[in-house]
Amino acid sequence: MVFSNDSLITHFPTYKTFLFDNDFQSFFPEIFLIGAAIFLLVYGVIFSTSPNKNYPLLIIPVSWLSLLACVFAFLLLLNSPIQNALLFYNTLLIDDFTTFLKALILFSSFFCIFMSLDSFKLESLNAFECILLLVFSACSMLFLVSSADFISMYLAIELQSLSFYVVAAIKRNSEFSTEAGLKYFLLGAFSSGLLLFGCSLIYGFTGVTNFSELAQIFTGGTQEILTTTTSLPACELGMVFLLVGFLFKITAVPFHMWSPDVYEGAPTPITAFFVIVPKAALFGVFLRIFLESFYDFLLPWQKILLVSSLCSMLLGSLAALSQTRIKRLLAYSSIGHVGYLLAGFACGTIEGIQALLIYLFIYIFMNINIFALLLCGMRRETLQTVPRIKFISDFSFLSKTQPILALTFTITLFSMAGIPPLAGFYSKAYLFFATMSSNLYVLAIVGVVCSVVSCFYYIRLVKIMYFEGPKNWCSFSRIPVENALTLAITLFFILFFIFYPTPLHLITHKIALTLCL
Amino acid sequence: MNLISIILFLPLFGVLLLFFVPNTKTQLIRRIALNTSLLTFLISLVLWVEFDSSTARFQFLEAKAIYGFSFSSFNFLFGIDGISLFFILLTTFLIPICLLVSWTNIQMYVKEYCIAFLVLETLLIAVFSVLDLLLFYVFFESVLIPMFVIIGVWGSRERKIRAAYQFFLYTLLGSVFMLLAILLIYFQTGTTDLEVLYCSNFSETRQIFLWLAFFASFAVKVPMVPVHIWLPEAHVEAPTAGSVILAGILLKLGTYGFLRFSIPLFPFATFYFTPLIYTLSVLAIIYTSLTTLRQIDLKKIIAYSSVAHMNFVTLGLFSLNTQGVEGSLLLMLSHGLVSPALFLCIGILYDRHKTRLLRYYAGCGRTMPIFALLFVFFTMANISLPGTSSFIGEFLVLTGTYQNNSFIALLAATGMVLGAAYALWLCNRLIYGVIKPHFIHEWSDVTRREFWMLVPFVVSILWMGVYPEPFLDALHCSVSNLISQGM
Repeated sequence: MVFSNDSLITHFPTYKTFLFDNDFQSFFPEIFLIGAAIFLLVYGVIFSTSPNKNYPLLIIPVSWLSLLACVFAFLLLLNSPIQNALLFYNTLLIDDFTTFLKALILFSSFFCIFMSLDSFKLESLNAFECILLLVFSACSMLFLVSSADFISMYLAIELQSLSFYVVAAIKRNSEFSTEAGLKYFLLGAFSSGLLLFGCSLIYGFTGVTNFSELAQIFTGGTQEILTTTTSLPACELGMVFLLVGFLFKITAVPFHMWSPDVYEGAPTPITAFFVIVPKAALFGVFLRIFLESFYDFLLPWQKILLVSSLCSMLLGSLAALSQTRIKRLLAYSSIGHVGYLLAGFACGTIEGIQALLIYLFIYIFMNINIFALLLCGMRRETLQTVPRIKFISDFSFLSKTQPILALTFTITLFSMAGIPPLAGFYSKAYLFFATMSSNLYVLAIVGVVCSVVSCFYYIRLVKIMYFEGPKNWCSFSRIPVENALTLAITLFFILFFIFYPTPLHLITHKIALTLCL
Repeated sequence: MNLISIILFLPLFGVLLLFFVPNTKTQLIRRIALNTSLLTFLISLVLWVEFDSSTARFQFLEAKAIYGFSFSSFNFLFGIDGISLFFILLTTFLIPICLLVSWTNIQMYVKEYCIAFLVLETLLIAVFSVLDLLLFYVFFESVLIPMFVIIGVWGSRERKIRAAYQFFLYTLLGSVFMLLAILLIYFQTGTTDLEVLYCSNFSETRQIFLWLAFFASFAVKVPMVPVHIWLPEAHVEAPTAGSVILAGILLKLGTYGFLRFSIPLFPFATFYFTPLIYTLSVLAIIYTSLTTLRQIDLKKIIAYSSVAHMNFVTLGLFSLNTQGVEGSLLLMLSHGLVSPALFLCIGILYDRHKTRLLRYYAGCGRTMPIFALLFVFFTMANISLPGTSSFIGEFLVLTGTYQNNSFIALLAATGMVLGAAYALWLCNRLIYGVIKPHFIHEWSDVTRREFWMLVPFVVSILWMGVYPEPFLDALHCSVSNLISQGM
């Protein structure tokens, strides 16, 4: 307050918020994507309820247009005028890390929608809102990755989770799908609540929600130097709640119970989206939180992540051995992969982050490949049922009816098992290198043993394809062209990545450094 | 162009040619594959001629620079020294034989079969000539994939899937520990280039851990006793050519690994664990020889005898003197000739009668005299009769071991007697005795193809047995260098 000498006029100091200079420019991809989604929503609502046009089913046109929107958002992202910035009053930021992860998210959501086009037709998922919810969740993931504050992070997580709850139950005439949506909603809302509680504890005891300010407050950790008078053990408690919420969302072990049921109940294109896309975003934001703000609390969260990673790897390899349904098997195998990702996270070193990013990248490619195969709609039991693959034994005899498809699946399965010289081996090798160099020997040894155990059920799928005869009459049809294209691109990557890993290696190294420095 | 690059890429060139041949022209497919592999063999003979045996350095060095490849730990560096030379020769010698063996009895998926063998040939040559630890591991593991396919698809019985699984998973479990050890080495030294690693030192505790991890992998491949069960299963279920390549080359991968990596890189741990190796080897020799006496399946008998021979080899390797190591190398080479030859003989019988059970065979010598001659010769080679190559090998191994520990040498020598027991008994029951006409209905002797397939084996075994100098000459420098490095 400024008092002037001769009058009682007081002036309050004014703050310039700098909100309109560069902020909107840097968020063009997200703004475009949201705008496109809203436009498509309006278009869909207007035209799908028009009696003149005979109430058309607009899911396919809306899908193609949203694919186009993803491509444009990707181009906008790569050509963004702003590379590094702290925006919107320190709640959002942009740097190389966020650009890479956003590109990965857009890329994977593009392929998820692309390969599901035919499946939407076959399973009669005629609600065009489904695609738009996926686009909204993709957009929220873009915001999530670039969040620099607890509030923006929570808002983005909620938008993503809400879209997912609805989309898991999108198949309205199947109780299975409704049950999946309900389970996801209940458990997801609960875990979001825990996440928020953690954030509020930290806010309560420190008064800030910004990541970098928290990093300044927590310097020195709980043991060595107490540089502030805030109650650090309470903040550690808040951090544990945060970690629990995070572990739930990525289906890590003590909190993984919902994932096999939800993944199996949801329709397959939605499961593909669930498995492939959110992990990149969630790992991105939580890498930033734990390596920037909570880095001085390394010991507690490293221990928690260590235990979670060990159990995830063990469960992922052992529980999948007895599965007879392919989607449940893939759910457990993705829990195993999350265990490996957490191992890279738990290292806390630059190699660890790099290993995590490389593993994430290759994990996304391999899963796109596998789901592109599952979404092919190739096998029909009788003439009435919808062609879909539900049980493992549905793969039998594939080597005789569609040999190239069987070969593709074999190569991808070998890659997921970590057999050299495929891409999965490279990611696992680098991961084990990172864990050994951080002295986490237990993780490395358990990791390799689980690798071999998981090999067993991957090879069992190969065996079923090649060496088992079919149990009953079935008809096979040609796979749709979009799936074929997706399979070709990802297979090429999986086969030949080992000869030229340098670009990915260098990019992830640079990104890991930008995160840590 | 460097000779090694030619040898490495010629089989792949053959694969490329095979891609363009339609599936129905099986004779053409087989001819192209055979000619490619024979050409590779000829060029590898040139390698032997051009080899300089007066130095222990790696020759024919080849650094493959894949464009833009700058990740420093993947050095595509290939080179040959005296030890690798003979394994490469053995590989290129055995692959044409494998393709010849299956000339008539593989009728389905012929193209994929030939492609699998040619790819296997490239991978094996790469394993023996690569000078980088991580790449050795990658190729070592990649060999599993074609073998899994060969055993699983063209195997002869219903148990083949189980055998393929066992083969695959046993070897994989052992070798993932090796991966961890390699990563630890890379973390400590910053490189996986072999020549640099030969000059680096590891602390004693670390050496013990690393040696154990490498042992886990190599012991499964050798195979040593607790983890040897995959071998009889895999041999029995594999097609004849699969058994030939398995016994001839794949078993040598384990002992090659011991010689090339465990002994020079971890000398303290080698000394520390020598008693373990001796115990396991002697156990294996005596136990498997005794088990063989009970077997009724022809292939299982030869498979168990392979286990016994390979454990003789490890005995010689860990005696760490020139005689022991050279003896074990010669024994490896001779086993790589004798065992495939025996499997070929069994394959000849299997082609005719479609059974491998000993009960149905007797008195084959009456109607198949040439076969009997060859089979008896190979049995004598298996027993290590003086004049055959295995005698030189076993003699040198026992000499080397005796210098270290005479009790172990005594026990190993009893293994020779037991070897004679099962081999002579097998030969006796199979070739001599009263013929069983109610079981045997094919009376034809070996065909021209089969005869000329086996003659090179006879010639090489006799050559190595009577005049081993050319083989030993090439080995001397490399072996003495390796041992002195370990000290």
